[in-house]
Amino acid sequence: MKISQAEEERLQEYIDGTLSAVEKDQVEQLIKNSPALQSRLSELNMLDTTLRSTRMEHPSDRFTHSIMGKLQAASLGNTSLSLRNSVFLLAGVLLVVGIGSVLVGSGVFDGTSSIDLNETLKNKYIPESFPTITLSGKLIMNIIIIINLAIAFIILDRAVLKPWFARRTRMHA
Amino acid sequence: MTNEFLLIDRIIAGEQQLYAELINRYKSYAFTIALKILQNRPEAEETAQDAFIKAYHALDKFNRESKFSTWLYRIVFNTAISYKRKHKAIFQSLDNVVIGHAQEGENRLEHDDRKRFIEQGMSKLNDADRLAVNLFYLQEFSLEEIGAITGMQANTVKVRVHRARQKLADELKNILQKEALTL
Repeated sequence: MKISQAEEERLQEYIDGTLSAVEKDQVEQLIKNSPALQSRLSELNMLDTTLRSTRMEHPSDRFTHSIMGKLQAASLGNTSLSLRNSVFLLAGVLLVVGIGSVLVGSGVFDGTSSIDLNETLKNKYIPESFPTITLSGKLIMNIIIIINLAIAFIILDRAVLKPWFARRTRMHA
Repeated sequence: MTNEFLLIDRIIAGEQQLYAELINRYKSYAFTIALKILQNRPEAEETAQDAFIKAYHALDKFNRESKFSTWLYRIVFNTAISYKRKHKAIFQSLDNVVIGHAQEGENRLEHDDRKRFIEQGMSKLNDADRLAVNLFYLQEFSLEEIGAITGMQANTVKVRVHRARQKLADELKNILQKEALTL
């Protein structure tokens, strides 16, 4: 005779000892009168006894050492700047670029100046004449701004985006 | 638990070497959870190690509302499940397991044989059912804790344990009947 799902549930609760005293008596009465339930209880008991001998498994002796080694290697490989500090550094560089652009735009560096080396050096120390060097403030500022922009891109890539994506990969791997 | 939280605070503050203490405390359970899901020791070891590394990097996000162990085992569970999904193709197919039954079923069913057959029956269960019944029988976790690790309600865990046990009992019964025929 096949037993019902409700009876199956009752038997499992009986094995787990989660029934009240009254329920337990009722189930024992049912078992007493049903060979099918007796047989099923015997199967479940056999399974329960075997599963109770389930033991904890232990990893290899190198387990902890291996994790600590990986953590150490990762921290050595990391950039010395934290993500927050990298963002501050990037903001600082961009601020310099911004201020420089504003100053160039407002015409502060529009003038030129020249250095005439002949005035100071010729005849005094060296007999030959030197060419006059003309300096354009705007050109110099533009070069500084371009160099700062390149630095900003490198910082953004190496110190901000790469560590950020690496962290995300580690979290979602 | 306060001591454990102090230990975690020190690790977050930079004393990385103290993490070894947490690993030693929980490695066996973490490894057992991974092994019950993956059923392969080297893969379980690798996965459990990855989970510990992930937990280390996320230590500052541990909100301390649950036990550290429950939080850690949840990471182990998720890591093992996603590892299994990624490497699904190389896992042993269930058909092979069934063939294994028939070929090995020559001996009497002693305790060790029963254990082996139950292990084979376990491989037919889905991951959540298998883990639920395994954690339940490690007798370390309450139904609520098993729920917290696997992301299920305690009542769902109970249902899964019952369902898994029912399937395993049926499996064992079938094997016993086959054994009886061969005697």
